[in-house]
Amino acid sequence: MKARFLPLVLVVLSVLGARAATPVPVQVDGFSFVKTVGPISEYTLASNGLSVLLLPDMSSPTVTFMVTYRVGSRNEVTGTTGATHLLEHLMFKGTPNYNREKGNSVDQFLERVGANFNATTWLDRTNYYATIGSEHLEGYLAIEADRMRNLWLRESDRQPEMTVVRNEFEIGENNPTEALDKEIGAAAYMAHPYHHSTIGWRSDIEKVSIEKLKEFYDTFYWPDNATVTVIGDFDPAATLGLIKKYYGVYPKAPAPIPQVYTEEPEQTGPRRVTVKRAGQLGVVGVAYKTPSRRSPDMPALQVLDAILGRGKGSRFYRALVDTNLTTGVGVGTGQFHDPSLLNIYADLAPGVAHAQVEQVILAEIERIKKDGVTAAEVSAAINQILAQSAFRGDGSFAMASTLNEFIASGDWTLYVTFDDAISKVTPDDVRRVANLYLLEDQSTSGWFIPIVPAAPAANN
Amino acid sequence: MKTSFRLLLAVLVLATAGATARAAVADNAVRTSIAGIDVIAYPTGVKNVVTFRGSLPAGDSLAPEHNIAVPTLVGAMLDQGTLKQDKFALAQKLESVGATLSFSVDGTMLTISGKCLAQDMPLVISLLAEQLREPAFPASELEKVKKQLAGDFQRALESTDYRANLAFSQAVYPIGHPNRDAPTEEFLAAVQSATVDDLRAFHRTYYGPAAFTLIAVGDVDPTALQAEVTKAFSGWTGGKPTPAPARARPTDAAKDQVVFIADKTNVSMIWGQATGLKYNDPDTLALRVGTNIFGSGFTGRLMANVRDREGLTYGIYSAVLNDTHTDGDWRIVANFSPELLEQGIASTQRQLTEWSTKGVSPEEFAREQSNYIGTYKVTLATTTGMANALLASVQRGYGVSWPDELPKRVAAMTVNEVNSAIKKHVRPESLVLIKSGTVPERAK
Repeated sequence: MKARFLPLVLVVLSVLGARAATPVPVQVDGFSFVKTVGPISEYTLASNGLSVLLLPDMSSPTVTFMVTYRVGSRNEVTGTTGATHLLEHLMFKGTPNYNREKGNSVDQFLERVGANFNATTWLDRTNYYATIGSEHLEGYLAIEADRMRNLWLRESDRQPEMTVVRNEFEIGENNPTEALDKEIGAAAYMAHPYHHSTIGWRSDIEKVSIEKLKEFYDTFYWPDNATVTVIGDFDPAATLGLIKKYYGVYPKAPAPIPQVYTEEPEQTGPRRVTVKRAGQLGVVGVAYKTPSRRSPDMPALQVLDAILGRGKGSRFYRALVDTNLTTGVGVGTGQFHDPSLLNIYADLAPGVAHAQVEQVILAEIERIKKDGVTAAEVSAAINQILAQSAFRGDGSFAMASTLNEFIASGDWTLYVTFDDAISKVTPDDVRRVANLYLLEDQSTSGWFIPIVPAAPAANN
Repeated sequence: MKTSFRLLLAVLVLATAGATARAAVADNAVRTSIAGIDVIAYPTGVKNVVTFRGSLPAGDSLAPEHNIAVPTLVGAMLDQGTLKQDKFALAQKLESVGATLSFSVDGTMLTISGKCLAQDMPLVISLLAEQLREPAFPASELEKVKKQLAGDFQRALESTDYRANLAFSQAVYPIGHPNRDAPTEEFLAAVQSATVDDLRAFHRTYYGPAAFTLIAVGDVDPTALQAEVTKAFSGWTGGKPTPAPARARPTDAAKDQVVFIADKTNVSMIWGQATGLKYNDPDTLALRVGTNIFGSGFTGRLMANVRDREGLTYGIYSAVLNDTHTDGDWRIVANFSPELLEQGIASTQRQLTEWSTKGVSPEEFAREQSNYIGTYKVTLATTTGMANALLASVQRGYGVSWPDELPKRVAAMTVNEVNSAIKKHVRPESLVLIKSGTVPERAK
């Protein structure tokens, strides 16, 4: 997830509805029951403030266990960009209790039992997860809890992992749209740390010290800055007992978790970037400032997003793809903790000018602002979003990865309630948010201009 | 063109995954022949989600002699309008209920993928039938699709991964083999010259129920599914059996190739060979297990050494691929920074030599057997995972009992069988090395 632009399949992270009966809270010594919303119950481990979300789902004998740390690239500053992500990589290097030499490291354990596992970092959060047979839950939970506070952070591990992460950065730089997206983000945000992408700047990836990374770990990796989520086939009371056993050994963070207080100043005019690199075809990007995921305007923005860019019936498909001006167009509305961007990216067809495509994009937006959208468009968009939401109930991992983003946004209950809000969006709402947010003075546009090789591209 | 490499990879991984600890898959699958179509319903505990997969033999290798792009174009035109309604009306019906239905074409097959809410299963089946049986092939839409493909392929030329895969397929598979991709310029020239009549003729010949498999997994009632398939497909005839092409003969391609692309920060590497093996050949499963130990996951030898210990790559893996319908290939795939390319290849070479000469240890083999068991349970826990596994099983000629049988085969396998398969089928001296990107002069 080291990209600010969300692929279309990820941007509408609303979920669930009433997929399961409301669970009855369990009483486990040491835990405070907080609330139940839909199928999810929230608890807090009283001794250290660890949040726990439980979602039983017995549709298969598997379980997903995930820990989400509320630290992402928004917590970085100049010199440490990319540090959250580099630290995520180093979290697999072992602890005195679990490591490669002992043959019980987290990846050795999980690949022995056959798991779907990994870790990801994004703007607002870092998560570690595994989907496993239910009988392996305790084994993984013990290792995951252990590395919360006992990680080895060694220069001898940082050096080879730095080049691994740098290669990840290089792979991203190979992609023109990703390169353009980074520059649009950097221009759209002057002060707020969404300015830089999660992968960070190359020089910071290369030079951040192990001491800085250790400082980062010791600041943010504490139980009261984390949420544990368990979804699938498990016993709630027994699982809370295991969480207490393995996470209960830690105290709260010794100092308050630092909060990001930098706010992006109001943008007072359109901004523009150009990226020129070797390539074959151009790309046009347009981004508008949008509110936090928790904003009451977000459901209407999601419906607007679908009307603009989802499927053959969308405005942009008809205006750009069906006319052969572009080979594709995507719209993604960022759904993050802090105000974000609605991004539009259009891949130019051969021989088409950037300006022409940008003009069409802007004209379609103006048309919606002026004339609004139809009830049929809104109805189709709502149904698309609700169906995608249901599809994300297919398996415990899909549910966990969706819930992860709501946790990061600052209100996990939106996972349950967002569908209802979506279903209430009206054509007037869509027109209103288009006029409120899709403003020229709040926009950042970018062109990727390919430098086509002099010789034919290749005979392949 | 083989646009579904990722899908194939996913299918292969899914279908080779481990042992069962739950009720037999075969006991839960309801398989019937309806109007000549092989229909499999697989109800699961998931609520309100149905995933579809299907295939019929209408891939690029079946193209008429005069135009290699016709099968791809037919697949691309299925959702561009039928005799009853245009593409926007088709799309509106699906999009208004949030359902998806798409088609892709590889060397051998047209593959169908779909997803919908349970209540919309009848709609998806009826639209699928309409698109397969009665595509209109409007000339105006064909011209748009041609321009679309021209743009897509021109953009793909700037991708180091695409170019590496293209070069590899041409290096290890002879002309005429279904796994060999045509040169992009040749393919695009064929796209431009194809006519509506070409498409109609191909559709008449190859589209039909003869070797059509349709699978629905999830919140699905088998009886209701059968009724909808009967209603939608009755009277459809035609189609051809899945072809059985000749196995790959060695090519005379250069063993070390550079596809130079300027101004790229990452080099894509593929290093491998054609195996001459199909999935259901006796040695293939053992070779796959041995290949997993070499290059699958974070603890496979490649990631553990080339990435984790030496820090030379973000990603490297080995796999046996493209062997469902034809004989396939064995390959190592990796990314390297241009300045670390030589070191990365040297490190990979060390691992390859060690693995191919000494084989795998009993401990590694035991761990991999255990990994299969767990992975199976996890992968089949979603409708997509189950649908992919069932389709791959049927395509490989095993039927729906294969997901139950596979773990037993792996459990009964011995480390000697694995090492014997490695020695017999991986020939390090014959591997073709492709480097795609801004390859430094010294590494050329």
